[in-house]
Amino acid sequence: MRTTRRRITAAFIAFALCLSGIFGASALAPSQASAMDIVRCTGRPNSDDDKTTIMGATQSRITFEASVAKDEGVSELTLHIPDGTTFGTDDLQVTLLTGDDLMTRTEVAYDVAADGQDLAITFDEPIMQEGHLNVIVYDVFFPQAGGDMQVEATYKLASGAEETVEDIPAISVTGISATEALSQWLSEQSWVQAWNSNRFLRLFFDPTILVTSFPVVLNGFFMSIAVVAVAFPLAIPLGLALALMRLSKRAVIRGIATTYVNLVRGTPLFLQIYIAFFGLPLAGIDIPNFPLGVVVMCMNSGAYMCEIYRAGILSINKGQNEAARSLGMTRAQTMIYVILPQMFRIVIPNLTSEFIVLYKDTSLLAAVGVMELVMYARTIVASTGSITPYIVAAVFYLIITLPLSKVTRHLEERVRGGRKRKRAGSRSDDAAKEVAHA
Amino acid sequence: MPNNVAASAAEEPIIRIVDLHKSFGETDVLKGISLDIKRGEVVVVLGPSGSGKSTMLRCLNRLEEPTAGQIIFEGEDITQPKTNINKVRERMGMVFQQFNLFPHLDALHNVMLAQQKVLGRSKDEAAKVARVQLERVGLGDRTDYFPGELSGGQQQRVAIARALAMDPHVMLFDEATSALDPELVRGVLDVMRELAQGGMTMVVVTHEMGFARDVADRVVFMEGGVVVEQGTPEQVFEHPKSERTRAFIGEVGGKE
Repeated sequence: MRTTRRRITAAFIAFALCLSGIFGASALAPSQASAMDIVRCTGRPNSDDDKTTIMGATQSRITFEASVAKDEGVSELTLHIPDGTTFGTDDLQVTLLTGDDLMTRTEVAYDVAADGQDLAITFDEPIMQEGHLNVIVYDVFFPQAGGDMQVEATYKLASGAEETVEDIPAISVTGISATEALSQWLSEQSWVQAWNSNRFLRLFFDPTILVTSFPVVLNGFFMSIAVVAVAFPLAIPLGLALALMRLSKRAVIRGIATTYVNLVRGTPLFLQIYIAFFGLPLAGIDIPNFPLGVVVMCMNSGAYMCEIYRAGILSINKGQNEAARSLGMTRAQTMIYVILPQMFRIVIPNLTSEFIVLYKDTSLLAAVGVMELVMYARTIVASTGSITPYIVAAVFYLIITLPLSKVTRHLEERVRGGRKRKRAGSRSDDAAKEVAHA
Repeated sequence: MPNNVAASAAEEPIIRIVDLHKSFGETDVLKGISLDIKRGEVVVVLGPSGSGKSTMLRCLNRLEEPTAGQIIFEGEDITQPKTNINKVRERMGMVFQQFNLFPHLDALHNVMLAQQKVLGRSKDEAAKVARVQLERVGLGDRTDYFPGELSGGQQQRVAIARALAMDPHVMLFDEATSALDPELVRGVLDVMRELAQGGMTMVVVTHEMGFARDVADRVVFMEGGVVVEQGTPEQVFEHPKSERTRAFIGEVGGKE
């Protein structure tokens, strides 16, 4: 957007220049002030995420380009770099672009002197040719907070007249976050540098990348949680339906469910994701990544849950069924009011384990471009070459899985311990009471 | 014990078992049982393990499907495929050796569940009936206890209350005291005794000779899938006709 506008502006200026070249050369007698007109003044984008963003406190460069009229004899150009911005003076590049298409590049001989934020470029020979004077300032670091950076420029003519380049567009700089600033700060600390001098530590536990990847990978964490938060509750009724189908008296229904469960459990989830994400679009069915990811995870988890439920149902004493049926309850009533409530209590630890598995398995969605934990981590790994973001991702998995594992263990103990809660002394009391009753 | 009310019901047996067979695979467990049970009668079925007495009982409400033969309950042949067995079971309460209370429900709701779901009673009505029945089995103060918090004897009494709440016409007891610690047996037997005295038709499979002697109107002795002998407790215990009956009673200890 911004670049487009800039390009339009540039085109407009070029057009205006042409007009002035045709009509204005003698007739309009342009004032000296128009001798140097700004063409562009830009910073170099330096963000990994977004190819147009210029971030503060991150290396960039300023490109300043202005048109010079023929025979003006610009002898000196002074750029005032905005306050708070640092820049290098060793690697200046000063070029005069000439010719109809401005494709002829002429290196210009100059001397440079830096005085505070002023960068004074004195040309060995005043510039007499018509063209664009292009100056690139390297090693620029805009302020961390960002904002609109206004470069100012003045120039001297051979005649000694001093003029100002008007209407220089400001460079919009995006401030960087606290973590990025922290990362910048860390990178300057000696202990961090010492730490990072160990190759292993730098590769896996680089503090600067640790702090920057945390908020980024956090996005993936939310995505992974979102996938599971939708897929898991949906898998519960799916698994239940499959389990009931597998316990059906009718062979056809049983067969359908058994086939489904065996297919899903017998093939890798990774393959199922590939088939869904690459197969469906080919078949003309376009489902956005997130819902499709949810559906695949849900359908996979449903099959595993089916077996959990089935085992749970089968583990319930058949006396429960007989008691309910002997009271005249139908098969369905028995299932709903007697078997399933007990089954859910039994399978809760296994369901929790299944939740953990499902949560971890969301990582497989990275392979098809769903922006979950691993995917976010991978983008940073790709740009930094450090494995550290993966370690951050691992932490995000662990903060869910470790507490849940503990909960699972606790629940398992409870299920095994049976349902003897409260009123601990009741048994002996009751034995006495029985005798009394008798 | 006399039951004049039932006797007047035209001598029509409430349950008529006709040549009942049941086999599990190759094994014939019931080899032709015929038995009439009159309304208000307490029939105690005795016999050694594996004699088929429990199987016979479980065939009565078709928890086991008979292989052959007929069971006519209140004039209806319930072995017919078109029989709505759930309707039949409403009128036939059953008490199991292992109690089979619903562990996720407290005593009150154990007794309420089928009333609500099968008989369509309102919650309030079901709760009222449940309290009455729990009171009747001596557990009026245990309504909010879960099965896991009750002793075996108490659980079995809740199970009896659960069956009674359905207003059954017949109660089937399948070794109701066999899983209980000895000191808890009496409480359950007392409840059964009171039930019998109240005129309930009961078919009781048990090893409790004392109960059979005191409470039974008729004792049926089974062995090897057939009825070997039946009669009043006096006849069967004091003057057994069959050698096998005599051996069994001698073994188990017919003397109290």
